[in-house]
Amino acid sequence: MNRKLVKTIACFALAVVLGGPWQARALDTKTPYPTMAPIEQYLMADRNAEIALARSAAPESISRDAEVLVLGRQGYETAVKGKNGFVCMVERSWTAGIEDPVFWDPKIRGAICLNPPAARTVLPITLKKTELILAGRSKAQMSEGIKDAFDKRELPAVESGAMSYMMSRQAYLGDSAGHWHPHLMFFAPETDAVTWGADLPGSPILTFGYSQDRLTVFLIPVAKWSDGTADLTDKH
Amino acid sequence: MKRTMDRRVIQVTWVLFGVLSVACQSQAQNAQTPYPSMAPIEQYLMADRNAEIALARSAAPESVSRDAEVLVLGRHGYETAVKGKNGFVCAVERSWMAPFDDPEFLNPDQRLPLCLNPPAARSHLPLTFKMTELALAGLSGTQMFDSIKAAFDKKELPLPEPGEVCYMMSKQQYFGRKYGNADPHLMFWVPKTDDIFWGAGLPGSPVYVHQYSPEPITEFIISVSKWSDGTAAPTD
Repeated sequence: MNRKLVKTIACFALAVVLGGPWQARALDTKTPYPTMAPIEQYLMADRNAEIALARSAAPESISRDAEVLVLGRQGYETAVKGKNGFVCMVERSWTAGIEDPVFWDPKIRGAICLNPPAARTVLPITLKKTELILAGRSKAQMSEGIKDAFDKRELPAVESGAMSYMMSRQAYLGDSAGHWHPHLMFFAPETDAVTWGADLPGSPILTFGYSQDRLTVFLIPVAKWSDGTADLTDKH
Repeated sequence: MKRTMDRRVIQVTWVLFGVLSVACQSQAQNAQTPYPSMAPIEQYLMADRNAEIALARSAAPESVSRDAEVLVLGRHGYETAVKGKNGFVCAVERSWMAPFDDPEFLNPDQRLPLCLNPPAARSHLPLTFKMTELALAGLSGTQMFDSIKAAFDKKELPLPEPGEVCYMMSKQQYFGRKYGNADPHLMFWVPKTDDIFWGAGLPGSPVYVHQYSPEPITEFIISVSKWSDGTAAPTD
């Protein structure tokens, strides 16, 4: 599996600090999505379609009772109240790393369902990033805003057991990745990949992490999409 | 006289009923617990030490197990056969590590190779060693249950740490007649929690769960697509 691709597509709940704004601008010139598109392109006109897409991140048995968030012009809003502590939503491109060529790709639809610990401690990062981006901040300013929020303890440390489902067949994770594979993600405080045996040849665990978010993310591909159909793309 | 005869007939009938009842109960119990007590220790040991080392290592991809510490079972417990360098520990667990109510509990044929990451090695191995000590001392299942419960109550055995991962990806693993070599999977132990914590055990969920007893531990299980040797696992 292409590890770089994993970093690109795997988690739209995270961002990266790579360096100063000039660095980000230099990278921007090489990407097909150098700047933010008009906000309308990131929004989904059909609210019910966004709710359905968000829920498709996990099997219906989980997402049925989850809280569902949808993206509005000012940020995410609760569209459906939940009962089981899970939160489902469709993440947009700015939760990718800031060096990522898809950072402004308006087609990105990262459907995700977060378990209760992740909803408490990972979701706030996504919400904060979205707030900053929709307020017109640059990538670098967004990164700085996240760092400041952690420093001021406005963002919590990740809780033990935080994980999420990304099993939507309809999700779109970028021009290279497409739908990629159904997978689970586990969030941990910054951890050496080798502690989980991740990213080693033959290991079923992949990882990436961004110091800015103070997280390491471990991914485990699974065999089926949330609708129960088999993932027939090349074996992971 | 007739009364005496009647009484004798009744008494004999009751005795016969009692004998038959005990026999039937015993048969039923044996059907549920085909291994009611320890077999001779030789049946649990592997005569070829190198074969046990290889089997233990086969629990994880070679990239993980190559530098792991390897334990083998001797007559008095587990011994270090190979010193490790990466903090992982691989061993072949025996059937006394199966749940107490599992029909395969004490099955001398069971071989459960696993490789534990460093946090899992710290908290799971003490349980393995304790159970092994009790089994090799010839305690009954009930005595082992009570002893393990007491050890956790007295905090003599540790609870799982955050970030524990256990690899069980050996094609040669053997769970018993019902499950055979099952499938390659990863296991995650956490202090006892609800199944819903990870959305486990729900229809369509790729996460399975086992609630230990008397250990205050929840085990989450995720199947992966390949055995440790890189060959594909059955899809169902």
